[in-house]
Amino acid sequence: MAEEIYKLSATEISSRLTAGKLTSRAVVEALIARYHQLNKKIGAFTSLDEKDVLAQADASDARRKAGKVLSPLDGIPVAIKENIAVKGQPLTCSSKMLANLVSPYDAHVVEALKSAGAIIYGRLNMDEFAMGSSTENSAIQKTFNPWDLTCIPGGSSGGSAASLASGLVPLALGSDTGGSIRQPASHCGIVGMKPTYGLVSRFGLVAFASSLDQIGPMARTVADCELLLNVLATPDARDMTCFDSTQRNQLPVASEKSLRIGIPKGLLVKGVGAEVAAATQAAIDFYKSKGATIVEVDLPSSDLAVPTYYVVATAEASSNLARYDGVRYGHRSANAKTPIEMMTNSRSEGFGPEVKRRILLGTFVLSAGYADAYYVRALRARSKIRAEHLAALEKVDMILSPTVPTPAFKVGEKVSDPLQLYLEDIFTIPANLAGLPALSVPCGKSGHLPVGFHLVGAPLSEHKLFAAAQLFESAHSFANQQPTL
Amino acid sequence: MAKGLDIDHLAKLARLNLTAEEKVLYSNQLTHVLTYFETLAKADLPAVSDVAMVVSEKALRSDEPGVSLGSDAVTKIAPASHDGQISVPRVVDDES
Repeated sequence: MAEEIYKLSATEISSRLTAGKLTSRAVVEALIARYHQLNKKIGAFTSLDEKDVLAQADASDARRKAGKVLSPLDGIPVAIKENIAVKGQPLTCSSKMLANLVSPYDAHVVEALKSAGAIIYGRLNMDEFAMGSSTENSAIQKTFNPWDLTCIPGGSSGGSAASLASGLVPLALGSDTGGSIRQPASHCGIVGMKPTYGLVSRFGLVAFASSLDQIGPMARTVADCELLLNVLATPDARDMTCFDSTQRNQLPVASEKSLRIGIPKGLLVKGVGAEVAAATQAAIDFYKSKGATIVEVDLPSSDLAVPTYYVVATAEASSNLARYDGVRYGHRSANAKTPIEMMTNSRSEGFGPEVKRRILLGTFVLSAGYADAYYVRALRARSKIRAEHLAALEKVDMILSPTVPTPAFKVGEKVSDPLQLYLEDIFTIPANLAGLPALSVPCGKSGHLPVGFHLVGAPLSEHKLFAAAQLFESAHSFANQQPTL
Repeated sequence: MAKGLDIDHLAKLARLNLTAEEKVLYSNQLTHVLTYFETLAKADLPAVSDVAMVVSEKALRSDEPGVSLGSDAVTKIAPASHDGQISVPRVVDDES
């Protein structure tokens, strides 16, 4: 049985641990063996401290033996993206800038996972500072799509998605600023959610664009994704935008009978691949067959989403990344005689090309003479996009679309054209701009590559989205799939 | 709109050294991206933005002392330190 452990969902592992049919050590040993077999090929993990994860597994087994199980996640490995702080572990953000940084503290989500008894299992590759949609911007290594090793896994949480799709781990954390959880989830055939802005604390998440960033769960099944989110979504006073307990107690109740699904007007015409369109249409037809009401919704400012996002996100990034000056932590240039030289040389040596490009763009849109034309207008467009989404979500429970217009592309195909790459996020960006929860669910294939559909809901309607996704998943065979590797 | 893009000025503001090749590359790429952004300039937008923060939030938390990392942990991750303090290249000259 040991060789099959990597195929199990977290929910299945949890019930076998409870039934005494499996130990956490056996799970971790099986996954370590799988890691040695596959990680070089996939490039999902940047590091794995085997001694540490085995010790965590033994501690969990001992708790279980003593009748002191902490939660359904006790003893289950959860892998962590490189931009989320784990005390005593690397926090590189897949950047040369932070190559030697060891985090002195735990992120809120890591504390929450530790309190739940989960095993903090290895670090996952990403686009440098979460800037990218292919994980090709990592300064550490490349990550490949387990379904086709000549293709990208998506990004920026490409390591997270690839680790799940290749059975290297049952659960993973990602972060999502414009689609960085959902786009790789779609490309790798797994489930990924970006929660409502404020549901999960950002304390210990390295900042990219603070008004858009959210940490979220990634898994191979809808139930696993929800199980993980329930542990992450707790109040935290250290993130001032994180909801307190009163604000959280207003979760809408799921009811599949009255499900109303909105389809954006003109959705499937703009640059959407034929097989992606067909898979999305099949999902719409499925919900219709289950009695859902399908309504066309009008989101006239959708065309503004990508430019608005790249102005707001790069503006915030240029400001957030100003902290990397070679003074307190991170890379310091060896060739600097003055403080200004130290800052400029350290940044020039430490940042990769996409990070520099976004810092320059963000600096431009905030600079004197241009801030009103770009940054201020983008904030106003953001207001409009949010208002349109909230108005649509008064009429429907959720909005359905493809997650990404086309399936995973070949490694190297879009590296020279940043704008083409930015358009990967066309369906996922509005949820970040509007602060709404959104989920990608596997719904078919384009050739041999997975495709997902995307659900966006009203603030704090995560459980409604999970219920709708579960309804689809139960009636299809796309969940918990792994390619033969 | 992108005609105001002065790559040398931007690099200076962003504290980045760019090679001659990088200057050409980034100028071209940013101009291309900014051209795409022109839909924003033409759009009919509300007069003011009301989502500077996406969600309503408590303005400020109470100012209470708490546990911090401490100088050992902080200097341990600093590129250079001396006597529990972070050191940097000399900022002012010895003689004035």
